[in-house]
Amino acid sequence: MMSLFAQVPVSTPEIQWFYLAPILILALGGVLLITLTSVAPVMRGRHISALFTVATGVLALAFLPFIAARLDGLVDPVAGQGGRPAVDLVSSALVVDHFTLWVSGLISVAVILVAVMLDGYLEREGFESPEWYALLLISASGGVILASAEDLIVTFLGLEILSIAVYVLAALHLRRSESQEAGFKYFILGALSSAIFLYGIAMVYGATGSTTLTGVAGSMTGRNAAGLSPAVDSSLVMVGIALMLIGFGFKVSAFPLHIWTPDVYQGSPTPIVGFMTSAVKVAAFGGMMRVFLVGFGGTFASDWRVLVLFMAGFTILFGSFLAIVQTNIKRTMAFSSIAHAGFMLVGLYAAASPVAIGDTGKRAVLFYLLAYTFMSIGTFAVISIVGKKGDGNHSIEAYRGLAKREPLLAMAFTVLLFGQVGAPFTAGFFAKFRVIAAAAQVERTEAYILAGVAMLGAAVGAYLYLRVVVAMFLDVQESPSTEMADSADETLALVEVRALEVPPATLAVVLLAAVVTLVLGIFPDIGSGALAEAALALVR
Amino acid sequence: MAQYLPVLALLLLGSGFAAINLVVSKLVSPSRPTEEKLAPYECGIVPGREPPHRFPVRFYLIAMLFIIFDIEIVFLYPWAVANAGLGRFGLVAILIFSALVFESFIYLISKGALDWGTLQVNRRLSPMVNEDRTVESTVRKVGLVGRFEEVESLKDALIDGNAATDSVPEQDGAAA
Repeated sequence: MMSLFAQVPVSTPEIQWFYLAPILILALGGVLLITLTSVAPVMRGRHISALFTVATGVLALAFLPFIAARLDGLVDPVAGQGGRPAVDLVSSALVVDHFTLWVSGLISVAVILVAVMLDGYLEREGFESPEWYALLLISASGGVILASAEDLIVTFLGLEILSIAVYVLAALHLRRSESQEAGFKYFILGALSSAIFLYGIAMVYGATGSTTLTGVAGSMTGRNAAGLSPAVDSSLVMVGIALMLIGFGFKVSAFPLHIWTPDVYQGSPTPIVGFMTSAVKVAAFGGMMRVFLVGFGGTFASDWRVLVLFMAGFTILFGSFLAIVQTNIKRTMAFSSIAHAGFMLVGLYAAASPVAIGDTGKRAVLFYLLAYTFMSIGTFAVISIVGKKGDGNHSIEAYRGLAKREPLLAMAFTVLLFGQVGAPFTAGFFAKFRVIAAAAQVERTEAYILAGVAMLGAAVGAYLYLRVVVAMFLDVQESPSTEMADSADETLALVEVRALEVPPATLAVVLLAAVVTLVLGIFPDIGSGALAEAALALVR
Repeated sequence: MAQYLPVLALLLLGSGFAAINLVVSKLVSPSRPTEEKLAPYECGIVPGREPPHRFPVRFYLIAMLFIIFDIEIVFLYPWAVANAGLGRFGLVAILIFSALVFESFIYLISKGALDWGTLQVNRRLSPMVNEDRTVESTVRKVGLVGRFEEVESLKDALIDGNAATDSVPEQDGAAA
């Protein structure tokens, strides 16, 4: 009996808190915000939660250069990282390298911008709750965990922390039943995809005997920690890879798993949609790239590449073509975000190629994420403003004459939309160009076809963005709705009459996003050093 | 790509099986629809009872309180058993965990989970709803129950005019 209680000291991991700073700051920021607003009613005042969230995001962002400096200063990089600076944390649960830092930076920026835009939104809609901001921060911390996870179980953990907070955020507009519907749909489908993802992890673990990415990769190339080559059951691994591809494909809304996107984006509060298209997408692509390129990048790359190829092509086509027939701007932008995910998958396809092209592909995806973060947040900030009180004014008709009423807003929106088209002198051009160029460099027939499909998708997609631009610069027609105010359209007319209120902070977000889109379009090599290092970090 | 051929075959087999079943059941089965059968969730019995009444959503918060401490205990026991082996690391980990759990307790209290009866936060909901606890239940209701003036006036009418009972409005059943 005593032997049962005789305790053997368990070897516990040493934690290097400094490298965990972005995750800790974001997560503890959320918890602290909730605690402070619970204990001190003073904290529930206007703008305080938003300011707190922005400060938290800035603090997380400010830590990144220091972490990068310390990473570069590492004399003895951890073995097996290909000589690239990287630190394994918490007994190989997480890894901090330049890729992690890049993704953390994008997520922090997204949190800051969305928090600013959320402030004006909540004020207009009459909500005063700090829960929105706290969930935003916690979700962001999950995103960073997802992108830096070195162990598949931790990947899953990050995915869930990221998602569950967003399920709640989607449903948090209590007075719109569409919002509840969106949250519910997102939750049900998301939970299913998480279960499938977990099943994939189980398959991979069953086949390779390891859940760490290096362990999985090692067992596939015949090397593992014990120096032995376990008999890897390749069919089991492939089933696992396919199931995990489904899990990630759902999160990035890739082709066969994209159909939740328009419904959820239409119903969710608009600033939250901005968060979904930026931070959630960045985190999901970050996790996907790390798992697939590091974990499955070796022997099985040629197998899952085919799947990603088909996914990418169909995602672009479906996104672009279905966006054309939409009349609701949020649905249009949802399909457009599907198409953008398709372009990023093209980059991922290229990234799965051998070294030199692979790096081009990784760089292309990372640049695309940077460009799309700013473009999508700016776009949804405009949509949030035009949505008016009640967040329901989202037909494309609502944009008629915007250039006359709000010239500055309309100009910035035009820049953002041209950015999404991929017009020259905008970030979107280089994002799409680099992705397609990377695919063309693969020099295989199917890669050329994919590049062609991507170009076709970009051309078709131009129509849907230009439609909104044209609507903005058209005059307000002698609108029948104001004339027949006493008829059935009375409520519609009332919405029409209510003036557009433009919160200065949200306008600042829009302008910043537009300026970044232009600057990255004219000087696309800004930050290319960090980009290259982030891409190289994924080489194993 | 040849290794995906079995998947394709299975896909065809699966959809074929479903299609055959649908077609055969359409052909073979007799079709005598009635309105009840076509109703959603048809099981042959027409629902004879109204769906359950509303119950206070605050019970949900009580359930959350239970869950919080339940989860905390679930993790505290294994830690307590393995404490000596885990050492300082385990202590710090369980302290972080407890702090987070306790945080959610604070949050729930600030949301009024322990204020049984009148909701202390967000007291003013709408002029239709009385802020105070009502005579019949701790659940505030929209309508006659919380609106004291009308109830009082009805009572007055009842007490004053025992003879003139006919003049009492019809809804006095709801007030009593």
